[in-house]
Amino acid sequence: MLTLLWGLPGDSPLYTVYQELNYLGFPTVFLDQREIAHIEISLSVGSTIAGEICTPNFKIDLNQVTGVYLRPYESRRLPIVVEAGSNSRIWQHAAAVDDALLSWVEMTSALVLNRPSAMASNNSKPYQLQKIRQAGFLVPDTLVTTDSDAVHKFWKQHGSVIYKSISSTRSKVSRLSPEHHKRLANVAWCPTQFQQYIPGQDYRVHVVGEAVFACAIASTADDYRYPGDTTDYPQLKSDILPLEIEQRCRQLASTLKLPLAGIDLRKTDDGEWYCFEVNPSPGYTFYQQETHQPISLAIAQLLTQQQPQTLGKVNSIIG
Amino acid sequence: MLIVLASCYDEAARFWVENWTDGDVTLLTPEDLSKSGWRHYLGSLQDSTAVIRDQVISVEQITGVLTRLPCVFEQELLSIVETDRPYVAAEMTAFLGSWLADLSCPILNKPTPICLMGTNWRPQQWIYAASQVGMSVETHHQYISLKTEPKQAQIPSERVSVTVIGDRYIGKVDPILGNQAKKLAEFAGVELLVVHYNRPEADAHFLSADFWPDLKSSEITTAILEYFSEM
Repeated sequence: MLTLLWGLPGDSPLYTVYQELNYLGFPTVFLDQREIAHIEISLSVGSTIAGEICTPNFKIDLNQVTGVYLRPYESRRLPIVVEAGSNSRIWQHAAAVDDALLSWVEMTSALVLNRPSAMASNNSKPYQLQKIRQAGFLVPDTLVTTDSDAVHKFWKQHGSVIYKSISSTRSKVSRLSPEHHKRLANVAWCPTQFQQYIPGQDYRVHVVGEAVFACAIASTADDYRYPGDTTDYPQLKSDILPLEIEQRCRQLASTLKLPLAGIDLRKTDDGEWYCFEVNPSPGYTFYQQETHQPISLAIAQLLTQQQPQTLGKVNSIIG
Repeated sequence: MLIVLASCYDEAARFWVENWTDGDVTLLTPEDLSKSGWRHYLGSLQDSTAVIRDQVISVEQITGVLTRLPCVFEQELLSIVETDRPYVAAEMTAFLGSWLADLSCPILNKPTPICLMGTNWRPQQWIYAASQVGMSVETHHQYISLKTEPKQAQIPSERVSVTVIGDRYIGKVDPILGNQAKKLAEFAGVELLVVHYNRPEADAHFLSADFWPDLKSSEITTAILEYFSEM
């Protein structure tokens, strides 16, 4: 029984879980990406999977790993690799390490938070929104278009409309305003996503296995992650969801094959619950610091309690 | 109308579309996404439109899509300002993923969040999956270290291919291999898959799998059209 963490020590969500695992006394190794030049991997895949990771600090048998928490950056973007350039040996090495580990986490029977194939649903927000709706949540009316006439009509229909990126490229959610009229013709160059604006109370819900942590967010900004000034700075407090919504969050995370998920909800004045997005690699520490919810402990416990899954279950996951 | 979604550099796709006279087959490339008229209302197909051959059409007129584009590459977005190309390529890929998933017509293959062409596994994952469905595989060994030079991938001297399209397969191989290829496609959740073996006999080894059927084979293109007409 061993837990493997992969990423950078400066990554707060990852390092906080590392500290929790050490506190629990559970065997844990931290694969520090900064050690990329010294990482050695052997991986054999046939009818079975076997392999080892070796660094100056540890050597592990991959079949001993029962839990994985990964938040790696692309190793080719590490300073030592960037400086060496794309034709360098270390650049090839970094790419090979990433490729081997990313393929292994898709196949291993260990619990993985989260498998990259599952995390990818966030690469297309409207695609993910279709899954969210299938899980029973209300979602805002959404239009992705290259047609400015369609935008005008959609805007008129809903009165207030926001726009945001379609892909996982992080963008600030902004509301359309009269100053956008002239620029709307530019949507012809690239499909652009518009959504009905839903007024209400924001919630960030972290699902960790069966545990659910809800955080109510008070902010006057359109996107609380980007407050306009200090008066917009979000106020966070721990909250409890109605049982039905809590269960729907668990179901949504399960549908998306995400044992760890950060779900963005908004409750309207009419008591309706809308879901906007599911973050598959949530930066939960921002919320934990404000609410003191034991999210990192729950993640550590999930990683340690999980027994290797049966092959049938694995097959359903990699499929 | 059957759509072939492909790169503007995909000569095989262009050859098929330009030479096919028996039916309405049209090429759609990423460049077409920079044209006014696309309307993708989530969950509302009757209001959604596409721009095909510079004409705005209802997406309900589309009877099938063959996808030959894993994602939109910035290299083909020549009409976009160079600094914006990576962002636009990511946005177009995300758009297509949602647009394809929302269509009600048959698609070869349905997109996944990782790849517009379907389940995009690495070679190791295909080998492991092949072994799970009973194929004979050779273990894939990797040793990655800066201390040793990486081994060059060995290209097999001989290989034979089986193309799975729906519930049939095309390829001059022992029926055991053909049926195994169908099982692998089912396991991967795809309707179109090309499976490569080291030889045509029943005891052959699985080599690899991909989503690139030979569109210059009339047997394969006919089977693709039959798949869409039968669905």
